[in-house]
Amino acid sequence: MAYDFGLGIRAYIANRVTDKLTRVSDHIYCCRSGSAADTQAVSDIVAYHLDFQQSETQEAPLVKTAANLFRQMCYRYRDQLSAGILCAGWDKKEGGQVYSIPLGGMLIRQPFSIGGSGSSYIYGYVDSVFKPGMSRQECEKFVENSLALAMMRDGSSGGVIRTAVITEKGVERKVILGDKLPKFFEG
Amino acid sequence: MYYKPRDHDFAVSLVQVYDLSASQFSPDGRVFQVEYAIKAVENSSTAIAIRGKDGVVFAVENLILSKLYEKGTNKRIHNLDSHIGMAMAGLLSDGRSLVDVARTEASNYRMDYGSSIPLKTMADRMSMYMHAYTLYSAVRPYGCSIVIGSYEDGNPQMYMVDPSGVAMGYYGIAIGKARQAAKTEIEKLKMTEMTCRELVKEAAKMLVEILTLAFLFVIHVVHDEVKDKAFELELSWVGEMTGGKHERVPDDLRAEAEKYAKEALAESDESEDEDM
Amino acid sequence: NLSLGQKGFKAPTAYKTGTTIAGIIFKDGVILGADTRATEDTIVADKNCAKIHYIAPNIYCCGAGTAADTEMTTQMVSSNLELHRLNTDRNVRVATANQMLKQHLYRYQGYISAALVLGGVDIAGPHLYSIYPHGSTDKLPYVTMGSGSLAAMAIFEDGWKPNIDLEEGKALVKTAIRGGIFNDLGSGSNVDLCIITKDKVDYIRPYEESNEKGKRQGSYKYKRGTTSVLTKDVIRFDELDIEVVSEEAMETS
Repeated sequence: MAYDFGLGIRAYIANRVTDKLTRVSDHIYCCRSGSAADTQAVSDIVAYHLDFQQSETQEAPLVKTAANLFRQMCYRYRDQLSAGILCAGWDKKEGGQVYSIPLGGMLIRQPFSIGGSGSSYIYGYVDSVFKPGMSRQECEKFVENSLALAMMRDGSSGGVIRTAVITEKGVERKVILGDKLPKFFEG
Repeated sequence: MYYKPRDHDFAVSLVQVYDLSASQFSPDGRVFQVEYAIKAVENSSTAIAIRGKDGVVFAVENLILSKLYEKGTNKRIHNLDSHIGMAMAGLLSDGRSLVDVARTEASNYRMDYGSSIPLKTMADRMSMYMHAYTLYSAVRPYGCSIVIGSYEDGNPQMYMVDPSGVAMGYYGIAIGKARQAAKTEIEKLKMTEMTCRELVKEAAKMLVEILTLAFLFVIHVVHDEVKDKAFELELSWVGEMTGGKHERVPDDLRAEAEKYAKEALAESDESEDEDM
Repeated sequence: NLSLGQKGFKAPTAYKTGTTIAGIIFKDGVILGADTRATEDTIVADKNCAKIHYIAPNIYCCGAGTAADTEMTTQMVSSNLELHRLNTDRNVRVATANQMLKQHLYRYQGYISAALVLGGVDIAGPHLYSIYPHGSTDKLPYVTMGSGSLAAMAIFEDGWKPNIDLEEGKALVKTAIRGGIFNDLGSGSNVDLCIITKDKVDYIRPYEESNEKGKRQGSYKYKRGTTSVLTKDVIRFDELDIEVVSEEAMETS
C-alpha cells in the first residue's frame, strides 16, 4: 500500500488467515476488498488476460496494463460488482507503481493507497506519516503500522498482516502474526 | 499444370487453373492470387522508409495523373495512432481500409490496456489480418504493402507487411515500382548513425532521383511535360524530434530537402553530361 | 409449486445448510468428512445420506446446501473433468476442479446453493479448497462448511497441527464432524470419511455410527388373555341362506 521509487510495497489485512493478496502476474499483485466471489472472479480474468498478453508479446506485462484491465471490468460491470481493488507491482518501464480502482470503476495512480473497511480509520495516520521517497525499510514499517492501527479500530478487520514487497527481482512475502503486531495505545 | 491442350478433343476442359482462388495451391506450391497481389504493389508508385538512430522517416511519391486533381489528395502516408506512422504502396483503397482496421485496433488496445499499442503488436495484428485474406476462396488478398514505424521509449522501430501477411522488421525498406533502385540507394546509407533530419534529405533525394530518371525515360519519349511538376512528395517522420508523435515533416525542412535533392540531381546530371 | 403442494405432492428435497462437512490436509493426503443427515424444514428427510461426492478418481467433494444443487453441480463438474482426463490422458488437478466449480457457481451469482469442501491429491500434492455458493474460494490446510462449520472449526482450531498422521487426522475429522452432529440441530446421524492419498482412496461409509438407535427398554404389548372373554357367539357363513339374484341385462339398443 505504499510505494517508493523502485519498489512497490503493499499489504492487506487478512481475515484470520485467508490470503487477499492475489497474484495476477509475476510482478503484479492486487489486494481485494468487497465481495470475495466478485474480486476473485475479476482477478482470475485479469490474470488470464495478462498471461495471454505475455505469451503473445514475450514480455512481462505493465502494471498500468493490469490496472486498466481491472478498471475496464470494474467499470463495465459496476452495477453487478462490489469490488474495490488495489493493484500494484513493478515493471521495467515505470518501476514500482500503485493504482487504486474503487467501487465505481475509477482508476487512479497514487504514491500510496489504502482500501477496505479498515482504511477509513487510518487516513489521518497515513497522510501525516507518509513522505515521498521513503526507503524500503521505512515503507515496510509504514505499512505495518498503518495496518495494525486499522485492525485495532475496525471491528471487521483483524488477524494477521500479510505484506508483499515487489521489486525487479520478484515478490517477497511476509506474514506478521497476531501476537507480533506493532503495539500502540490500547486504553 | 497443362499449358497447352493435349491431343484429345476434350483436353481443353481438363486444363486446370490455379490462379482464380486464393485458397488453392498450384502443384508447385504457390498461391497465385497472393503473387498477383504482390504484383499490384510492385506496379505502384514508390514508398520508402528508413530507420535512423532517433526515429523513422517515411517518403512517398504521389504521381499527379491529372492536372485536375486537388493538391494533396489521396495521401499515402497516414497516422494509425498518434505515435504510429504508415506508408503504403499498392491499391490505395485497400490501404485505406487497412488504415481503418489498424486505427480500430489501436483504439481498442488503448481502451483495454490504457497505453498506446506497441508497434510490434500492431505489426503482428496487421499481418494476421492480412494473412487471413490469403486463406479463403471468397476473398482476395490485400493489394498493398504497408510500412509502419514508431519511436517508443527511445527505440525507433519499423515493420513492413506485404499482401501474403508476412511482417518483418527493417532498417530501411522501399516498396513499389522503383524499389530496387531505392533499396540500392538505401543500402549505401549508414542509417543507424544518421539522424532523421539527415535521412529526410536522403529520402527526398532518392525519390526525386529515381522518379526523375523514370520520367526522363518515359516522358521524353511520350511528351515533353515539365518533369518536376509531375509528382508530389509526401514526407513524414516520427522520433525524438516530434516527441514520439508521427507528423508530417515541417515545410521548411521539406523545402530544404527538395532543394538538396534537386541540387544533387543537377550535379549528377552535369557529371553525366560530362561523361557523354 | 403451491398448487402441487396442495394436491399433496412433496416438494423436492431441499435440505438447506443443515450439514457439517470438513476436510484437512494430513501427512500423505487429504481427509474429507461429512455427517449424513438430510433435512426438509424441520423434518429429517434422510438419516443416512451421502454428502461426499465423487469428482474424479483422485478428487472428492463434500457438499452442503441444497441437496439437488450440490449433487448436480458435482456431477456436472465430474463429467467434464472425466472428459478432460480422457482428452489429456492425465490425472486431473484439484485446481482445475476448483476453477470449474467456482466459475459455475459465480455464473449463477449464488442462486445455486452449494457450499463445498473440495479435496484431492494430484501431481502437485494434496490440495484442499472451500468453495462458497457465490463462487469465492479459499485454499487452506483445514476447512469446514455448512451450519455445523463453527462447531467443527472449533475442533480444528484446537486440535490441528501441521503434518498430522493418518490416525490422528481421521480422529480429528471425526471429532469435528461429531461436533456438528451433536451441537448443530441441522446435522446428525453418522460420520462419513474419505481419505485420499497419492495412490489410494478410502471411502469409509459409515466411519462411525454416532447415533445408534437405542434398544427399546420395555414392551407395551398386552399379554394374551389380558382381556377376559365374557360371551362367545359363532355364526357360520356357509350355513346362511343366500339368494342369488341375477341382474337384468342393460338396455343398449
